[in-house]
Amino acid sequence: MEQKAEEEVSNAFPPSFSSSDLKQLLHSLPSNALNHFFSLGVCVRCILRLFGIKGPIYASIDNGSVENPVDSTASNETKLCNVCLGILQFRFYDDREKRMFQKDAAYDVALLIADMVRQEGYQFDSFSLEVSIPPLILQKEASLWSYIQTKYGSEPWFQEKIHTGCVSIKDALKFSLINPLEKLLDCKSSWCPFRIRLTYTHTKASEGVAKCSDNGGSCKRRKTDESDSTGERPLSSSVENGSFDCSKLFPKSENEPCHFTYNCFRTPFYFGGRYLKYSRNVSQTCWIIDDERMGEASVEEIIGIKVLQACRGDNYKFHAAGREDIDVRMLGPGRPFILEVQNTRLVPTEQFANNIEKMINEEENKLVRVKNLKLVGSDGWNLMREGEGEKQKQYAALVWTSRPLKDEDFQQVSSLKDLKVVQRTPIRVLHRRSPLEREKIIHWMKMETVAGSSQYFLLHLCTQAGTYIKEFVHGDLGRTHPRYDKNLRLMQCLMAKMSGTHTNLLVTALF
Amino acid sequence: MSDHITEESNFSETKEKEKEKEKQKEQDEAEDEELRKLLLSDVQNLPSTPPSAVESNFAIYFALDFMKPRHDQYVYRHANGLCVIGLAPSHVAFKDEGGITAIDFNVGKSDRSGVKVTGKRKKNAQHFESNTALCKVSTKNDSYIVRCCVKGSLLEVNQQLIKQPELLNASIGKDTLLL
Repeated sequence: MEQKAEEEVSNAFPPSFSSSDLKQLLHSLPSNALNHFFSLGVCVRCILRLFGIKGPIYASIDNGSVENPVDSTASNETKLCNVCLGILQFRFYDDREKRMFQKDAAYDVALLIADMVRQEGYQFDSFSLEVSIPPLILQKEASLWSYIQTKYGSEPWFQEKIHTGCVSIKDALKFSLINPLEKLLDCKSSWCPFRIRLTYTHTKASEGVAKCSDNGGSCKRRKTDESDSTGERPLSSSVENGSFDCSKLFPKSENEPCHFTYNCFRTPFYFGGRYLKYSRNVSQTCWIIDDERMGEASVEEIIGIKVLQACRGDNYKFHAAGREDIDVRMLGPGRPFILEVQNTRLVPTEQFANNIEKMINEEENKLVRVKNLKLVGSDGWNLMREGEGEKQKQYAALVWTSRPLKDEDFQQVSSLKDLKVVQRTPIRVLHRRSPLEREKIIHWMKMETVAGSSQYFLLHLCTQAGTYIKEFVHGDLGRTHPRYDKNLRLMQCLMAKMSGTHTNLLVTALF
Repeated sequence: MSDHITEESNFSETKEKEKEKEKQKEQDEAEDEELRKLLLSDVQNLPSTPPSAVESNFAIYFALDFMKPRHDQYVYRHANGLCVIGLAPSHVAFKDEGGITAIDFNVGKSDRSGVKVTGKRKKNAQHFESNTALCKVSTKNDSYIVRCCVKGSLLEVNQQLIKQPELLNASIGKDTLLL
């Protein structure tokens, strides 16, 4: 019976903690420490978290009704908390509205946030709250905590309950805001792509960062760090003998509320698939020189713009496993790619991906086709690695030669397996690549007649990844040639004859 | 009894798999056929003699009578700014009996064939003016200086010409490359 009542209380909102419940809770805490904290100018929520208390109580406290447990006067809530500088008191300078806010309850802050989320127009069924606190405040907390450890470490209540540490400001803020936000946004909070980010900054925070860099560039506070802000090291002894000056813990100069901004965004979604390129006038990525576009379109834009518009994202990044020239078609199974879409307003689904694929493939000009478009997670990147790692690539080139072909040409070409060629960096890319000699392997070749011509033929070839196909065929003015081997003498003659005259070859990538 | 049932279910499983395989085969064949059609789609309207690779990728210039009568050279300029310099077929050297017999890149202050240019920024490339000597070609009785014709940095020379100068006689052998 009792358990059921408890559950009901915790499920309802707001859990009805009245001010007398709060009073009771405070009275149950060790009074010496409690009074000390109050006198140090620590706000009520910071006190609760210093005692390791968790849960929805943070959400239901009304600042206006908190009393100092000792003398029942108005509490610390009117003054800025020395530890959290108002974060857990809901006092801040709102960078959006450009004015100071002083809210009494977590619900009021949640209202501000929920309004913003609604305005942004995201589709979501869950949200994840992210909080960013200035390092200055974390330092203050560290100082206070080490002070507490030293002063109360030996007391039994400390060792029983909270030797593990206090509740962090981030967690206390989340305890405050998550329940109201769940109610206002009508969904649960969970780890998900839709993020609500709360960022607190402080004008004095830069000093804190400067101190960090004094640690030799490392901002990791050492666990045994004592009294960072005062620079005093022997904290423990002076605390124990009572001579420690508490006012040194919290310098007055830092006593200003924080700046607060809040926004929401979605972490990127990834679409994976394969593309085919039918056009010889479409580059893979957007190619613009001096305000002039090269080619009539790009694969990246054809796919990216459609996907971006459909999910209402901010921008996209196109990643492909390898690339081909603008005047080379990509057929066969297609080239794997991943499209990263940032900050989508809609949540894409499998059906959604299917629809986009159809839309792209039904385009009138049929420049590009997409296969197997689907949402991918990190496994998508493995597919890409595989695509790049495939060491053999297959091509078909339409070639013209100046002397008519003979049967033995076909046989000789087919007989060559794993032919080694040496390619100097092609002239057409030499302006942006290092002049090197690269040895590549042509695994196999097959010539195929083209109806009605004795000088045109289709050359099918399978080569090592990274081979320049065009240069292999036309020889690049002698800069690409087979590695000399007396067994290949015949082939060399044939290739040499061809390379002087091969022209206008049309290459198609097929792997 | 159970054996009989498993046998039957195995049998129907294999039949299904066979059907799937056939379907896949049909699909593959259809795709192959489509691919073939695409590959051969370029075949319509092929010119009987298409332009050469050089003609398609470079702008071809000639420097006739460069600094001396009948010293004719060509410059192939690529869209990326690189140039290939060579002897035009009408160069006086080809008229000599026996054609070209030797090529020496050791002219001016350095041996051009010893140039070692490295990296994307093309370190060590020597800067040349249009009248800088590139090499000396010799025939049986005469020798001729080949000059740069354009202002730029020398990236590489055609090393094959040192060992096989007769290549120049046979076809348009490239001489040098410049940036």
